[in-house]
Amino acid sequence: MSSSTLRLALVGNPNCGKTALFNLLTGARQKVANYAGVTVERRSGVFVDGNGRLCEILDLPGSYSLHANSEDEAIARDAVLGGLRGERQPDLMLAVLDATHLHLGLRLVLELKALGRPMVVILNCIDAARARGMVIDAEALSRELDCPVVSTVAITRGGAEQLLAALPAFAPAAQSLLKLTGQSVESLYQEVDRILARVLTDPGRYPVWQDRLDRVVMHPILGVALLATVMLLMFQAVFAWAAPLMEGLTFAVDWLAATTTGMMAAGPLRSLLVDGLFAGVGSVLVFLPQILILFLFIGILEDSGYLARAALIADRTMAKVGLQGKSFIPLLSAYACAVPAIMATRTIENKRDRIATILIAPFMTCSARLPVYILIIAAFIPDRPLVGRLLSTQAGALFGLYILGFLAAAFTARALKSSILKSDRTPFVMELPPYRRPTLRSLGLRLLDRAKVFLRRAGTVILVVAIGLWILAHVPLDHGKAPQIRDSLAGTVGRVVEPVIRPLGFNWKIGIGLITSLAAREVIVGTLGTIYGIENADEESMGLREALRRDLAPGGAAALLIFFAFAMQCMSTVAVVKRETGGWKWPAVQFGYMTGLAYVCAWAANVAVTRWLA
Amino acid sequence: MPAGELHTIDQMPRGQRRRVLDLLGNAEFGPMDALVTRRLKELGFLPGAWVEVIGHGFFGRDPVSIRLGGSKFALRRAEARKVRVETAGP
Repeated sequence: MSSSTLRLALVGNPNCGKTALFNLLTGARQKVANYAGVTVERRSGVFVDGNGRLCEILDLPGSYSLHANSEDEAIARDAVLGGLRGERQPDLMLAVLDATHLHLGLRLVLELKALGRPMVVILNCIDAARARGMVIDAEALSRELDCPVVSTVAITRGGAEQLLAALPAFAPAAQSLLKLTGQSVESLYQEVDRILARVLTDPGRYPVWQDRLDRVVMHPILGVALLATVMLLMFQAVFAWAAPLMEGLTFAVDWLAATTTGMMAAGPLRSLLVDGLFAGVGSVLVFLPQILILFLFIGILEDSGYLARAALIADRTMAKVGLQGKSFIPLLSAYACAVPAIMATRTIENKRDRIATILIAPFMTCSARLPVYILIIAAFIPDRPLVGRLLSTQAGALFGLYILGFLAAAFTARALKSSILKSDRTPFVMELPPYRRPTLRSLGLRLLDRAKVFLRRAGTVILVVAIGLWILAHVPLDHGKAPQIRDSLAGTVGRVVEPVIRPLGFNWKIGIGLITSLAAREVIVGTLGTIYGIENADEESMGLREALRRDLAPGGAAALLIFFAFAMQCMSTVAVVKRETGGWKWPAVQFGYMTGLAYVCAWAANVAVTRWLA
Repeated sequence: MPAGELHTIDQMPRGQRRRVLDLLGNAEFGPMDALVTRRLKELGFLPGAWVEVIGHGFFGRDPVSIRLGGSKFALRRAEARKVRVETAGP
């Protein structure tokens, strides 16, 4: 952005409809990044104002006060005061005021007004206010605040033009580093009351249906039952609804690979494209439907106002492991896939709680572990009834692995929250926003945003890993041809790591599988298939199971299951943690901890099972 | 409720409506207590404001959700203990 570009910043309370206004003004021309050095999301976009000038608009994090209580609020404060590293002070502040929450919003507006910078007040959600019978005199408000006031309904299409037309002609303002004024809260509220007495001709009444709905949603029994139902539905959707889409994507990638195979002559380039690129990138792409469905659910829950209530209901349960209610939904989604779960932790404002949630999310049994679990369980555990017909030994083993992951997550959370991630007692005050109907526009933009983030970031890492692995498996050339896998660089690496993994009961072939599955857990199935030289190896194949039984003692099989339950064998997760935490520190800590835990527990499992059978 | 006894938001049953008297210190917050007090005030927990309990969390009636003017908030027990309310209802 050149220095002649006008800079606007949206400031306002959380849930005041700021982001809806931002979406309206910028459409899909948005950029999502992080503020320099912190993990707070920076949303900016460009639009052309009524006079044809290019404007850059910043959607500052929602805040209740310039006396910041969280990292998000500190960013908003520093941005308007002009002290935010790497950011120019806005030329014009757009203070967004939710017309149904005038009390709360006006106090912030008065704090902003005291700064003496150019400001326009946007009276948002004016339709909801009218529906409540509120009568607001916008002209009187403008006189009282001595700045322009624009009434809008953020969700309607015409809103953008209306807002643009009402923006006053403004010029780049001089930059000046400001200080907070020391007005007391009481005096600010006195001023708010004085203004409201002149502006609010009829205060209206809180909609009765909202209270009735809350009586059900927050009922001690009904509320919990409703939350459980919503969660089950979400879980089911991520698993079941995504399945056909995932199969479709797999089919498309396979078709592309087959077509490429047919069109190109056999050779290293074809192999790189088909075995490296398509296989590698395809294995990531299949997660996209799960991610989109999960975010569709989270979007609906958040936009409708239910998410805050769900967090409230789950808060005490999560508090037992040192976390809070807002960690509940990300952790639940991690049962499907840790990648969207980690992206979903953005709803947690407390930074330390958010990091703790990110660190334990990959312990939850994600769907990528299933192919591995199924293969090993089917190969080593005889299928016998365990609890009558209800539960077989195989299903019991699978369930046990789910429990194991959960326990590891709970244990780790407790350990983290009572040591390195111990939070100061900061105020836990959560607003329960009014129920609203989610708009298709907002949901669509959310999904678009998440899909872009996922494909761009996680996709590039996987691409590099896939190509790297392919190369390792194909060099050094043996008389101009690809070598036997044992003699390839990958095979050599497998044999080099063999002494390290032998105590777990693994040989060099499993070693290669462990290394390739660093990219994604289920890759080990295909890798072992390739290594054993069995065609069409998939988890249902009898050949692969028999080969595994020849290669792996029961102790080693148990160790392999435990290893996959705990180890962070997933490059997409590493990439997304790096992105979400803004550096390599946390993914490195997490990877080291999970791999260490996996190694020790797998070793213990190997020893225990071998002794027990002896 | 005997006269003179401290009555705070965390003791209010669901559905009860009371006026805020003032904000108390809570040693649980240590040096952060003043900050918590300021934030509660900023959200509108000021003397004379009406609060109504609309629900509780799953276990141990914590957190407590309340209505304050046109907004609804959830407070954990430690925060709720800071808000003293009048003992007589409307």
